[in-house]
Formats: sequence, C-alpha cells, structure tokens
Amino acid sequence: MAREKTAVRDKKITWKEIKRQKFLLIVAFFVTVYGFIFYYWPLTGWLMAFQDYKPAKGLLHSQFVGLEKFRFLFGDPEFLRVIRNTFCMGVLNLVTTTVMAILFAVLLNEIRSSIAKKTVQTISYLPHFLSWIIVTGILHDALSSTGIINDVLLRLGIIDQSINFFAHPKYFWPIVAFANCWKETGWNAIIYLAAITAIDPSLYEAASIDGANRLQKIRYITLPGIKPTIMILLLMNIGNVLNAGFEVQYLLGNGLVQSVSRTIDIYVLNWGISQNDFSLGTAAGIFKSAVSIALIVICNQVAKRAGEERLF
Amino acid sequence: MKKRLAATLLASAMVTSVLSGCGNKTDGGTTEFSMFITMPGSEINSDNEIADMIAEKWGVKIKETWLTGQTASEATGTLIASGEYPDYIDSDDMSLLVDAGALIPLDDYIDQYPEFKETWFTEDEWEKFRQPDGHIYWINPFGNTMGESTATTHNDEAFWIQVRVLEWAGYPDIQTLDEYFKLLEDYVAANPTMEDGTPNMPYTILCEDWRYFCLENAGQFLAGYPNDGSVIVNKANMTIEDYNTSEDTKLYLKKLNEEFNKGMIDPEFATQTYDEYISKLSTGRVLGMVDQWWDFAYTVNDVFKQQGLDKVGCNYVPLGLTTKTGMENRWHTYDDTVNQASGVAITVDCKDPDKAFKFLVDCAMDQELHDLRFWGVKGVDYDVDENGLYYRTDEQRMNWADTSYQASHRCQYSYMPQWGGTSRDGINANKPEEQPSEFQLDMAEPLKNCFAAYDCDTYPDMIGSVVETNGPWFPMYSYSNNFTTDTPGGVAWTKMGEVKHEWLPKVVMAADFDATWDEYMAKYNDCKPEDFLGEMQAILDTFK
Repeated sequence: MAREKTAVRDKKITWKEIKRQKFLLIVAFFVTVYGFIFYYWPLTGWLMAFQDYKPAKGLLHSQFVGLEKFRFLFGDPEFLRVIRNTFCMGVLNLVTTTVMAILFAVLLNEIRSSIAKKTVQTISYLPHFLSWIIVTGILHDALSSTGIINDVLLRLGIIDQSINFFAHPKYFWPIVAFANCWKETGWNAIIYLAAITAIDPSLYEAASIDGANRLQKIRYITLPGIKPTIMILLLMNIGNVLNAGFEVQYLLGNGLVQSVSRTIDIYVLNWGISQNDFSLGTAAGIFKSAVSIALIVICNQVAKRAGEERLF
Repeated sequence: MKKRLAATLLASAMVTSVLSGCGNKTDGGTTEFSMFITMPGSEINSDNEIADMIAEKWGVKIKETWLTGQTASEATGTLIASGEYPDYIDSDDMSLLVDAGALIPLDDYIDQYPEFKETWFTEDEWEKFRQPDGHIYWINPFGNTMGESTATTHNDEAFWIQVRVLEWAGYPDIQTLDEYFKLLEDYVAANPTMEDGTPNMPYTILCEDWRYFCLENAGQFLAGYPNDGSVIVNKANMTIEDYNTSEDTKLYLKKLNEEFNKGMIDPEFATQTYDEYISKLSTGRVLGMVDQWWDFAYTVNDVFKQQGLDKVGCNYVPLGLTTKTGMENRWHTYDDTVNQASGVAITVDCKDPDKAFKFLVDCAMDQELHDLRFWGVKGVDYDVDENGLYYRTDEQRMNWADTSYQASHRCQYSYMPQWGGTSRDGINANKPEEQPSEFQLDMAEPLKNCFAAYDCDTYPDMIGSVVETNGPWFPMYSYSNNFTTDTPGGVAWTKMGEVKHEWLPKVVMAADFDATWDEYMAKYNDCKPEDFLGEMQAILDTFK
C-alpha cells in the first residue's frame, strides 16, 4: 500500500508508466545483469593482485601480501620498458591510423565515379576482416630476405644486401604501425565517409560560387565538417592507447627485438600464465586499466576546456 | 505444428546426449583417455589401426593432443587457469601443476605394482621424484634401458655435419670448432650449390623459445663437460660453475660472430621458427648445426629417406668438438638419464585413475604392447626370421617413414613409458632404430661409407665421448627446470633466460664483438645470477 502511494506521489514514475515501458525495462534488466556478470563481477579477481595467489588454494585462502606485487612490478626494469613500448606503439598506431583514415576518406570523397568509389572502398576495408595471424604471415613473407620488399630494394639498387627486418629493433615499431594502417585504414575511413556525406551540399555549392577550388573546399568545409567526429573518435581511442596490441607483437616478435616488442599484455602473459604468477599478472592488468581511465578523463577535460566535442 | 517442433527438439537432444555419452566409453569396456603433451607433435587419426588394436586388447585408447602455437609454459598456465585438465598430462612445468593441485599422488598406485616399481626405477631414482610434500606425482617415460644397451644413435646434442661434406674432404679428423668451420667454408667455396641448384647453407642456429639451447649451451660441451644443462659441475671440488660467462663460451660465440660476419651463418637464424628450421633442414641444404638428435632427426631423416636425399649424403653425423684438440668430450650420455623434472602424470580430472595407471604399467611391462607400439604389426610392418630376429623389407621401412601411414596405422603413444635396449626375448631391440641389423640396413650408402671411413659402427662411436658414469646429481637441469619465481634464484633464472634470449643472437650478429659482449655481460650480471647459482650449489651440496 505504502509503495503504491509513493508511486502515485512521484509523478515521474507511475505504475502506468512502468507498465507502458514494460518491454524496455525487461531488456534493460537483462543488460544490467549481463553487465554485472561480465564486467563487474570479474573485477573481484583483482583481489589476486594483493595476494600471493595459488590456484590450489583459491581466492579465499591465498595469503594477502599487500602491495608486494606492485613493488616488484615497479622495481622491474623490464616492466618499465614494457610500459614504454606499449605507450609508444599505441600512440604511433593511433596517430598513423587516424591520419591515414581521414586522408583516405577525404580523397575517396573526391572521386566522382560512384562505381570506382565503391570498389576502392570495399577492397580497402577487406583487410580488416583478416585475423592477425594471416596478416603477420603476409608480413613475414613480404619482409623476409627473399621477400618482395627486399627484392624491390635490391633491384632498385637502394641496398646491396638483403635486410632482415625482424632482426633490428629500430624497424619493429614502424612495421607494427604499418601493419595496423594496412589493416584498418579502409575500415576506419567508413565512419569519416559517413560524416562527410552528412555535410550540407549547399555549403559546397556556395563555396563553388565564391570561387573556392577543391583544396580550399576540403580545407574550409570537409575537415571542419567532420571535426566533431574526429574529436569523439580520438577521445575514445586514447582510452585504448595502452591496448596497443597483443597478437601482432606476439607473432612478429623474437628474442632479438624483445626489448622493443613486448607490450603490457605480453608481460601479463609471460608472468601470469607462463610463470603462473597470477598475482603479478593481475597487478600489471590493474595498472593498465588505471592508466587508461586516467588518460581518457584527462583528454575529456582538455576537450571540454577547448570547447570541443567530448564523451562525458 | 508447435508440438511437432517440440518433439523434434526433444528427439535431437536425446540423440546428442546418447552420442556424447558414447564419446568417453565405447562398447567392450574401452576407456578413452585424453592426454596433453607440451611438445609439438602430430596427431594420429581417430581410427588409427594400431590404436584400435591396443584398445581392443588393453581396453584403453588415448587421444593425444600436442602443443600448437603456444610455448610449453603458456599451455600449462592456460590449463591451470581454466582448471580443466586432460586425463594424462606430460608437461615441462610439473611443479606448477603440483602447486595448482592438478595431479593425483601416484605412490599408492606404484605400490600396487611391485614388479613395475622394481624394474622401472631403483629406490634412489624413485626418491628423486618425490616432491616436497612427500608424494610422487609423475613418472618419466624415457631413459630406461632393458638388458644390454643397443644404443646405435647419439640421442644427445652435438655439432652435426652432413656426410657429403666429410666425404668431399676425404674424411678428415675434426676436433675443434675452428676445424669444423674451416671445413664448412672450404666445402661451400668449392660447392656453392647442391646438384639441383639449391644454394648450400653452411650453418644455421635454432634459437626459438626453449629450443635456443642450440645456441646457448654448446659452451659446456666444448669445455669437455656433460649435459648438466643449466650449469657446470666441477667434480674436483663439487662446485657449481656458470658456463654462460666462461672463457670457452666466449670463444665459441666469438667464433660464431666471426663466421656470421663472413656470411657463413644463416642470416635469418635469429628470427626463424622451429617449423622453418625443420623445413630448412629437410631440403638438405644445411651443412651443419648444433642440435639434439631427438629435436630434428626423426622428422628430417624420414624426409631425407622419402626424397632420396640420404642417397646423396645429406644425413647428419655428430662430431665431438672441444675447445682445444686432444681434450676428452662428454657430448654423449652413456647411462640412462633420469630427468625427474618431467614425465607423465594423471590429473585430478581423470575419469578412471585406476585404469589409467594400469595402462601406464602395461606400457612399461607388456612386451607385446611395446612391440606393437614400436615395431608395429607382425607380418605387416615387420617379419620374423627363423631365429626369432625381427627384420623389415625396404617397403616396410619406407611405409614406416611415411607420414600418412604414420597417422592411419602407426601408434607409438610416444610419451608413455618405453624401453631402450634389448627386449624381453633377448634377441631383438625394443626399438627398430636400435636393432643393429636394422640399423645397418636402414643406412644409405654415403652414411655407411662415412662410418666405415672412421671405423665406427654407430653414432656414439662416431662422436667418441669418454665412457664415464655421471654423478647422482646428473643432470642438474632437472632441478633448475622446476625452479619457480617464488625464490630469488628462480626469479634470477627467469631473467637470465630473457637476457640470453635477446643477447646471444645479438652477440653473434654484432659488428663489434667485444663491445657487445661487455654490454651483454653487464645486462647478464644485473639479473643476479649469483642467486641462481647459490640455490643450485645448495642442491649439489646435498650430494656431498
């Protein structure tokens, strides 16, 4: 009875309203349960980071060691190197893929023939659907000492001896960035292309009448028109910078380049799974999540200050 | 309509449950066990003929799965993280599995089979398997010799060289690394390509993951020590020494560096995978390398035989190289090596541990089963002469080496207990490759000529190691393999491994060897190898 009364008093949520939204509420309920089970419940596993976790004893009976694991982590020069690698590769990937995608979308937009446009677009986003194991296989072949890249360089006389690209740390980050560009440019361009189509055509017409050439139209209409999209995507991706990748570095890496190839994820695999130190792996994972959250909040604030689009 | 749909669903659900019920147990009391081995291997077909014959008679069929794509410790770690285990497991990280409570103690089972207990290991050997909690969890399936040893292969590490190189040079006496590389250089200068035009590759080095021992541990052998693997044991004063920093290792790496800069070593050695390495060897173009016999010979020799490359002298023979001439070498291990760090274990998820253990014992104790696994079916894979001696025709030998035949017919259960040496009938060897008559017949002409030229009958004769009994601590690697990062020594051991993985290839490929070596040593010493060596010394001290 009492509950009914309050429901009547509160005009916003009436029984009638609830009944009317019955379906939506049921859906929302399941989504919430899903989110709880798959996103929040697993976080209880973070307890491991503060324990000396032993699988035989389980989460409840393992010994607590406080911040011991974090102390080990930050005292390990390897971990600091891994953070550097992850961060640098993440930024490099973010910058190259974003720039390439925008460039590609703008160029593609300038093509008049719609058949040509669609063909190019379809071909360019197909690599997105290849798994990394295939992409790295192609890279291995292309960059091997008898591969096409060395072949071309040799024939052009740029080098006089095949380069073993995977044996030199200096080539590793560019190779990873290139692989990401090759795989994702077409796919990422789709969203920018969509944003471009949303630009009012009358702006272009007006600009033409004012005597603007193609480049000027791109500079003053297309790019400002898609700026909000660029900002939002950039913000969302900055939160992902530390997800610089696992597969590509894992599959392309080898002993010689391990000082530049290992990312936080590989470090977690090495210590957490291979050495069976789940606690240390979890600690590294927590660190990564914390940094990612911090990054996204900072960037959002910066965007807010600058009066740009933002996430929240 | 709705009713019919429901009935169909129900029916299909029942069929599925009946079918899945069949998956584990088939008629006639055959139990199907799963087994995971942290080594790469080839799966046999599910209707493999010998596997079915074994299932019929001994009531057990094993579905083996092998390592693919992951490293051994990643695979073990993944199993532990999931908490679901196969029935049998053979891993390189047994102590992790014990820590995780994944294995069942075998002590009681072992006591149920006194005959097995007595023949398989001695009391002392069993003790080595006992874990700190007082239980035995696994049994090493290898390294046991029955009766007289008939070892014809050098199932150990060596500098290998193709017989065609030795033949070309008139079978010279090669004792040191310098002589070895001089020979390879001369041969390549005179014969840049093989007969079919494939360029010869003088030397390659495998250094992927744990297999980087092919680059890493030759120093201990060159100094004349046996394969303790992770350290050198100085018997004179019972101390542990580090071969990573030894003068012999430095000289060895310096030599590799010199040869690399001369273009004698595969430029892609540091980035090749094991598969790439094996396919490189299988072309017959690689003249030499360091490796363990079991790491390449089974696959590569079968390919040579199929391709006819054995006829042109591509087979490898071992050379017992040392730093200086006239030194004793200990590349070959004569005694049975009991590696208590690994073996086959039964997990807590095993559906029928009694039966699983019984089959393990059968594998070791039943000669008929053993012959079926390693010789095949009598009258099909081998024949028996009037004296009871097993022999094979050329065709049978060819079949045995054929991969599709191996998948459909051959079933070795190669990580279950097995014997070397002479079989219980006192006539035949337990394994065909150890049967002296078979061994002679199986050899191609160039290999025979080579053995004849050096006045050898077998591979161990060829490498000519001193005959000597190793200490009870041998091999020390069986202790370090079970180090975990719970102790400072274990952490140091892990870090040393990482540094060596990166720096050994770097040192070999360096433009300036001495500067790079110093840099490497600085990084190496940062790992606190003294922690590791200290713990190894403590283990050795228990044998004083």
